[in-house]
Formats: sequence, structure tokens, C-alpha cells
Amino acid sequence: MSFPNLNLNLKLNILFNFWHNKNSADHRVEGTNIVARTRRRFSHFENVSAVFLMVILSGYSVTGVAAENAPMDEKLNADQIVAKASLSAYYGGEDGRTLARMRIVDANGRKQSRQFTILRKDLVEGGEQKFLVVFSRPSDVKGTTFMVHKKPDGEDDRWLYLPALDLVKRISAGDKRTSFVGTHYFYEDVSGRSPNLDTHQILQETDSEYILQHRAIDSASVEFASYKTWIDKVSFLPLKIEYYDEKGNAFRRIEALEVKQVQDINTVTKAKVSNLNDGSYTLLEFRKINYDLGLPDNLFSERSLRRPPVKWLKTK
Amino acid sequence: MSNRLIQFSLAKPIAVYGLLLIITLVSGLLISRIQVDTDPENMLSQTEPARIYHNQVNKDFLLNDLIVVGAVASNEQSIFNRRSLSDLKQLSDAILKIKGVKSADVNALTTIDNIEQTANSGIRFEWMMAKAPTSEAEAAAIGAKARRLPFVVNSLVSGDERAATIYVPILDKNESYRIATEISEWVKNLSDANDYYVTGLPVAEDTFGFEMFVQMGIAAPAAALVIYLLMLYFFRSATLVIAPMIVAMATVIISMGIMIGLGYTVHIMSSMIPIFLMPIAVVDSVHLMSEFADSYKPGENAKAVIGKVTGHLFQPMLFTSVTSAAGFFSLALTPIPPVQVFGIVVGSGILLAFLVTILFVPAYVSRMNPAQLEKMQQKLFVGKESNSLLARILPSWGEFSLARSKSIVILALILVGVSVVGIYKIEINDNPVRWFKADHDIRIADKVLNSHFAGTYDAHLVFEFSERQALVKQWREQIALDISADKTLSQTSREQIDSFFVRKFPAANFQDFVFLLDDLLFEESESGAETIERLIELSERYSSQAKVFNQPEKLAYLEALQTYLLQSGRVGKSNSVVDLIKTVNRELRSGSSKDYQLPRTQEAVAQTLLQFQSSHRPQDLWHFVTPDFSKAQIWLQLTSGDNRDMSAVVAEVNAYIIDNPPPSGITVNWAGKAYLNLIWQEKMVAGMFDSLTSAFVIVFIMMVLLFRSLLFGLLAMLPLSITIIFMYGLIGWIGKYYDMPIAVLSALTLGLSVDFAIHFIERSRTIYASTQNFKQTMSAMFQEPARAISRNALVIALGFTPLLFAPLVPYITVGAFLAAIMAVSALVTIFLLPASMKLLSRWLFKNEQRSQV
Repeated sequence: MSFPNLNLNLKLNILFNFWHNKNSADHRVEGTNIVARTRRRFSHFENVSAVFLMVILSGYSVTGVAAENAPMDEKLNADQIVAKASLSAYYGGEDGRTLARMRIVDANGRKQSRQFTILRKDLVEGGEQKFLVVFSRPSDVKGTTFMVHKKPDGEDDRWLYLPALDLVKRISAGDKRTSFVGTHYFYEDVSGRSPNLDTHQILQETDSEYILQHRAIDSASVEFASYKTWIDKVSFLPLKIEYYDEKGNAFRRIEALEVKQVQDINTVTKAKVSNLNDGSYTLLEFRKINYDLGLPDNLFSERSLRRPPVKWLKTK
Repeated sequence: MSNRLIQFSLAKPIAVYGLLLIITLVSGLLISRIQVDTDPENMLSQTEPARIYHNQVNKDFLLNDLIVVGAVASNEQSIFNRRSLSDLKQLSDAILKIKGVKSADVNALTTIDNIEQTANSGIRFEWMMAKAPTSEAEAAAIGAKARRLPFVVNSLVSGDERAATIYVPILDKNESYRIATEISEWVKNLSDANDYYVTGLPVAEDTFGFEMFVQMGIAAPAAALVIYLLMLYFFRSATLVIAPMIVAMATVIISMGIMIGLGYTVHIMSSMIPIFLMPIAVVDSVHLMSEFADSYKPGENAKAVIGKVTGHLFQPMLFTSVTSAAGFFSLALTPIPPVQVFGIVVGSGILLAFLVTILFVPAYVSRMNPAQLEKMQQKLFVGKESNSLLARILPSWGEFSLARSKSIVILALILVGVSVVGIYKIEINDNPVRWFKADHDIRIADKVLNSHFAGTYDAHLVFEFSERQALVKQWREQIALDISADKTLSQTSREQIDSFFVRKFPAANFQDFVFLLDDLLFEESESGAETIERLIELSERYSSQAKVFNQPEKLAYLEALQTYLLQSGRVGKSNSVVDLIKTVNRELRSGSSKDYQLPRTQEAVAQTLLQFQSSHRPQDLWHFVTPDFSKAQIWLQLTSGDNRDMSAVVAEVNAYIIDNPPPSGITVNWAGKAYLNLIWQEKMVAGMFDSLTSAFVIVFIMMVLLFRSLLFGLLAMLPLSITIIFMYGLIGWIGKYYDMPIAVLSALTLGLSVDFAIHFIERSRTIYASTQNFKQTMSAMFQEPARAISRNALVIALGFTPLLFAPLVPYITVGAFLAAIMAVSALVTIFLLPASMKLLSRWLFKNEQRSQV
């Protein structure tokens, strides 16, 4: 069970957080602004009393409510930071589009690349989202399309279209820690790992960052023993995530290499995932980012899999 | 020269002792820097093309050395039962946590991905066995899934489904012993649901290294003990016998010390250096002491006697040492580095032993006190004539040899004829796993796992797009042409494109260029952008063209070859990217076997593989193709590591390729351990022939020079030639494979058995010169000289016998055959030489007669 307002992947998918990270320069200017925004967001769910009840029962309510009410100068606890980071990650524009390119570099330094366009639309702020990912390169996979209907309170719906086989397949729900098209990113890095799958703990607080440690509640379902996040105190963007094995050795790292403001939104534009065991990595770049395009809802239908919406894919 | 050495030895015994002690101690210290090398790969030189290629293939396809853990379900059950699988899960989880294991690549039921269809045209990737099954039904369900995956059947689960394996890639093969031990420790925590076998080449190599030390630590000292006891029996003086033992020890320590000090590793061959040098090193001393014991009379000046004896024997000892050394030095002509090192070190050791003998033994004997010498003399003469078995038997052998000279020569000819037939029956074959005894754990594991699975021996058949460079060049020229006529691009874009090719060519990567163009696109004018788009499209086209191994027609060639290999019967199973594509294609489509086939277009293949890469283990793809799709490999599993089986597979593939040439631009090559073994075996066989013939020629020339007679030279070569032909004929007839240790024996035989002939001929001529009578000469020959030869044959033959108790088969082979060779060549010398001499006496002793006149 997860909650719309809390399923804000801290984990956060640096991969996709440009969609979400609108946590803006406003924070810097005016601390109370975030409270105001958070309040607005929560209002979405005040009607959904059952959900709200679950929130309270789960203990996350404390987080949520505390996050909502905590004055900026007060010490935040781990769950509050996770919630805040999650909130800021999800709080944002109605939709967006970006060109993404990935460079996969193996242990021998050999390179491969992927290029695709991502369209995204939020149905419910912080809740359901829809994604369309259309590949353009390499040319032999051109037109390959993924569609995700993300349902934070249920199983996501995922589709796949392979033009050369003229085949639409549903990708079954299941383990989401599989590779995203051969890169070092996981699908879960893309679609987001729910914070309530993990327990959280503050390890350290510096002038600029919170350093948190997280452990999976169902440790058998993940390949790590724990992971740490370095969350920027101003933007609440996780700038680094490191995964550890049972002996405490880091074996995987995700880091933001470049953060830019796009339409006043702090957006990660370059990121890197590294396999610390063999030195291989994937570099990710987002370019031609646009928010609030007014993408129509029917864009994210099975129809679009076979017929990519050229109009909306065209970047300027 | 000889006098000066002997005089120095006699005049300054303390200086000789001190010098020897210091050199021995310093060399001994160097031994502590010992580095053991158990890697069969090192049978080939670092610069050997096959080896360089093999390592390049390992790098290209990210392959590591593997420890293989086999689990066989007890009570003849299927492995797909709850307890067996739970234990397997527990074990593989533990293995993943062991340091030094490349955990991402561990292959087992518990670590691999399953791809399958789901309801509503869905597809699913999930761990084959994320959790241990909690019921028999769950275990059976895992079996049903596993059976559908061609990568699992006969690789991770045996065809009879009784056994499963865990393939454990390790980062550093020097760590394999520790890792294998940790795995074995874990096995003890498990239930009795399965029996476990831990094997794999790295384990075998490490075990081998351990057994090598056992051999050197036990067999070499045992040889020393045998030689000591034997000499004690011959000379009856513990004090006197200490001298040759010191010579032997000093020779071994100095030789090993210098070898190790020079940075050479101790390999299976060089680990035998001590046991070779020990008996050979005492041979000169035996001659010195034999003659000293004969000449010395109580009350005489020992110093004067030993000086005279040494001077007298200097030349024959020098010659036997040089010829023996030549036999070993000839091993340097083989292209096998460990054999070269062995030959050179033993050859040098023999010369060193000669030098040490000449310097040390006179010094030592001269300082023995008269009482000890007298005691030795008494014992020796009391025991000698009456008790010595040799003394009783040898004269009668001599008589027989002369009486039946014709029959003996005819018998020898028949023996040679039969042996030559045997030589044609020799089968060349080796297999490092067979270096262990049949009851060794590694042999048992090898047998069990290969009986259940399609094979644990690897070979890689590698396909390369050899025209990639030409294509890159063509692309560059095309781009240059396009730009030269263009007016739309900005100056910056042109410069960047030019500098890209200057910097990257010929290693220029299509995708790198597309990335660059992509970046340039931002800054370009509208018309410039169109040009850039056109260049991108052009480069993408070239890129697709260069991705040879996602093109269906190229893949179809691999597919057909795999089918052929499987039908041939020698290959248990083969795996390639084709199997992987077909499996994913099947699950993307109907899920039934009719769709277990290659898609029809390059794009369809690429998109199918993109799905494979969306699994938990996308990296597995790169064990079969390189990321630019310009190289692909078929991984062959062989149930036998015998070189002759690998050789047969290579021949079959060659025949196939001749009948069905690969698509144009594709070259085919071999790599993999089984193939490398084959290569060094071929080099060994050819190299041994070179080394044997050159040693034969050199020794023959030396014999002719020594005896100043072509006929005597030929006669001197007779015993060793017959011995070599006989031994190899025997090997052919008894069906023993011609392997590494057997190959090395030929050159050794040559160097060692010529000694007997030299002594026999040299003494015969000396005696004939004084008797002028062939019969009397022979009668005298079968007294003291024949005894000396027999003693030396016994010292060397028995000196090698401790190898029979060694833990590794090559050592046993060397020990058994060398002992036999010494015996045979001594017998041939004693029977055939007198018989031949009798038949040839009219021509042989002309010089001696004349000189007498």
C-alpha cells in the first residue's frame, strides 16, 4: 500500500526528477513559501479521508503533518526530510517534455548510446502520472516506445511497442529493479521507489546537506543492504545516492552532475550512475526541456504507441 | 686449465669451502623469493599470437576464470525439489558475498533472470528463483521455467535434471584457492539434500601449485636420501659419501637460487629441477671416488692420489658433462618457455656440478684423515669381490654378449623394427586435469560433472567483422566529401568535425560522432542544422552497417554452425547471442517453440535485444557480442579436456567453414583454454622434434671429435638411439599418450645415456691400447669399468624413483620412464656395444694398433 502524497520517490530517480523538481529558487527567497505550496498540495487529499486515515495509521502522517507545519528553523527528522524531498520532487508543473540521451560506458571503456524523448503528464499532483518514452537512436531501435501509467497506490501499467516486430506488449508488474534498456539505471530509478518501502535515518546534517541512510523493509526484494542520500538543504534535490552491500561497501552511485533552472525550476540536467565494482557507468543528459506544454490526456493511450505524437515530440 | 683448477682445490681447500659456502648461502637466500606459476597458459610465451588473441577475447567479451560448483541431488532425485533448491539458494547467496567473486556475473538458477509470457499479451522479467521454494509445487514450477531456457539446460541444470551448477567468476585467479575453500566451508552448513563438487581450472591450478611444493619438499629430499644410501653401499664410508652429497646440494641450491633470483617463476617443469640435478650431479663424484678408492693404498698421500685421479678423469668427465648439458640445452629450442627454462637451468646445473666436483671433491678428500681412509679401504676390499652382485653378474653378461654377438645385433634390429611400428601408433594427447591422479577430488568432480552436463571445458569460436576499418575509412571520406561541397555549416562545426576525425581516427566511433553532431545542432543556423541532420543520418547508416552481428543473415550463419556442432557429437552444447535472441523473440511473440527463431530484420533483432537488456542481467549480452556488434562468439562446452578431442572439433569446424564459407568480411578464430592447450601441445611436439634432432647432431659431432673417429662416433650414438626408439615404441604399443612429460624425455635420454657409451668406449680403447687383444680388452671391461657404469646407471635410475610416490601424474611418468630409460640404456650399452664392437673390431681398433706399433 502506498499513498499518493507520500509515494514521492526520494530515490528519486534523478533520471526523471527534472519533471518533479520544481522546488525552485523560491525556497531560498522565502521559507514560508514551501509551506504554502505544501498546504495546497495536501488539499488534494483532504477529501480522501480513507487515504488520510491510512496516512495517520502508518506513522507517515506524522511526517506529512510535521513537514507541513514544521517551521524552517526547526530540526527536521528523517521521515520529515524524506517527505519534504519527496514533496519538492513531485511538486510542480502539469506536464513536461525533454530530450534525453544516455551514454553507456562499459568496464573496457567501450561506449553505446541511447536517445529518446520523454513526455510526461501529471494527472493528480503528486499522484498518478503518465509517461511516454520514444526512442530515436540508435537508428535500429528508432520508434521503440514505452508508456507508463504510474499509479502510486497500485501497480503501474507499462506498455512496450517494438516497431520492427509491430508488437505491442504489456510489461507485467513485478520487480522494477531491472535495467532500463541496458543502462545502469533501473526502471525503479525511472518510475520511483516508494519511500514507504524503506526506513529512513539521518546520519549527518551539514550546512548545505542532509545525509540520510535508508534500508529496505523487505530486504530480500532488493540487491542492496542500505543506501544513502545526500539531499541539498535548499533545493531538496538528492544530489548523490550511494548503495551499499552487507559489508558496507559502496557498489553503486547515482550523482547529479549539473543542475540548471528551467522555467524557474531547479532541474538536474546531467547525471551519472556508476557501477563501483567494475568502473562502468551511464551518463545521462537532458536537453530541450519544457514544462507546462498543455499535453492532452489522450496522448498517453495505446494508440500513441504505434503512432508517436509527432507534434508533441518535436522539440524546439 | 684442468691442472690449475685441481691445484687450486688442493692448495686452498679452505678457500674452496668458503667460496662454495658463500655462493650457496647467497643463492639459498634468493630461493625465498620463490613464485609459483601453475597457469597452463604460461606453457605459451607472452608474445605467442594464440595467447594474445585468447586474452583479447577474454577482454572483449568480459570473461573471467570460473570456479564451477556442482550440486547433485542425493538419492537420484530431481534437483527440482524443495530441499535441494533451498540449499542451492543458500549456497549461492553465500558465494555472492565472498570477496573476490565477480558477483554480478555469478551464474546459477538463483541468480539468473527468467523471461516469460503472461496473460493479456504481457511479458515479464523476473528472477528465476528470488526466494527458496517453500513447497514441492514451487520447486517443480521453477523446474518448468528453467526447462524453457536454452541457457539453463545442460549448463546450469543437467539434461537429466539431477544436478545443478553455480558458475563463479573470480576477479583474480590467484585467489581461487581461498575462494574455493570458503565455498567448501559453506557446503558443510548445508543439509544432505545434495552432494557438492568444487572444480574448475583455477581450482585445479591452485591445487597443482600446492602439490608441486609437496613434490619438491618430499620427493627431492627423498631422492637425496636414496642416492646417499646407494653411495654408502658402494663406498662404505659415510665421510667420503658426504662429499658428493655436498656437491649435489650446492648444485641444486645455487641453480634454483639463481633461477629464482633472475625472476623466473617455478613452474611444473622447473619444480623438477632439483630431482633432476641431484642424481646427475653426483655422477662425476662417483667416477672420482671409484677410481680413488681403487688407486688409494693405505699410507699413501691422499692429496697426491686424488690429484692424479682428478687430472686423469678430467677430460671424460668434462665430455660427459658437456654432452648431458647439450641434451638439456637443446630443450631451449622448444617454443615452450617453462621447458626452455628447465633445459637451460638443468644444463647449466650439470656444468656447475662438474665445476664444483673438480674444485670441491679433491679438496675434501685431501683433508680426510688417514684413519677414515683406511677404514673405508678395508670395508671396500672386504666387501668388494665376493659380495658385490654386480661383480658376479657382469663378467658373465660380457661373455654372453661376445658369444652371441650376431644374435644380439639381430635382436636389436628386430626390436628397433617393432619399436618403429609402435612409434607410428603414438597418440598425441594431453589434458591438464589428467595431471591429477584418478582418485583426486578434482578428477572425481570432473568426471561427475561431465557425466551430467554438456561439458565443463570451454572453447570460444570467435567471429569478427574484419572490414570494419575499411568501413570507417569509407565513412570518413564520405563525410569529408559531403562537407567539402557544403556552404551551410558554421566555421565552428567544420573545425569540430575535422578535429574529431584527426583525434579519433582510425578508432573513430559512429556514436561518438553522432553525439558531437547532436551538440553542434544547437548552435547551427537552420540550413546548417539540416546538413548536420543529414550527416547524422549518414553516420547512423554506417553504424548499422558496422553492427554486423545484429544482422539476421550473419546470425543465421552462427545458428547453422551451432546446429552442425551439436550434431557432430563432440560438442556437448554451444551458446551464442543467437540462442538469446531466439528465446526473447519466442517470449515476445507466441511463447511457443514455433517462434523460437531469429527475427527477419536488423531492427527487429536490435529491438529484441533491447528487451533482453531490460532484464536484471543486461551485461550477459556482452559475453556473446561486443557492444559495437563487430565481434561475436560461440561458446562451446566440451565434455572432455583432451587435446585430441579439441583437435577433432577444430578439424570439424575447419571442414564446415570450407564447405560453407562465412559471409563476406567475417573471419573466424579460436580462443579458450581447451584451444590454448592444443596450441602448446602442437608447439611442444614440433619443438621436441627440433630439439631432439639438433641435440642428436651436436652430440654426434662431439663424439666424433672426442674419439677422432667417425665409426666410434656412430657407435657411441648407438645405445641412446636404440633406447629412444625403444622407449617411444613402447609408449606407442602400451597406448600411453604422448604428453608434456613424455615429450621432454627424449632430449633427456639423449643427454644422459650417452655418458655410458662414452665411458665404455673410452675405457675399451685405453685397455685395448695396452692389451692389443679384443678378447682380453672385453674381459677387463666387464670388471671395474662395467661396474662403474652400472653404478652410475643405478644411482640415476634409483635417484628418480621417489618421483613414483609424487601426487601428480607427470612426475610419476617422468620418474618411471627415466628409471626405465637408464636401465635400458645401461643394458644396451653393456650388451650391444661389445657385440657391435666385436663385429666391427677389424675397423674399429686400427688406430690403437697403429699407435702401438
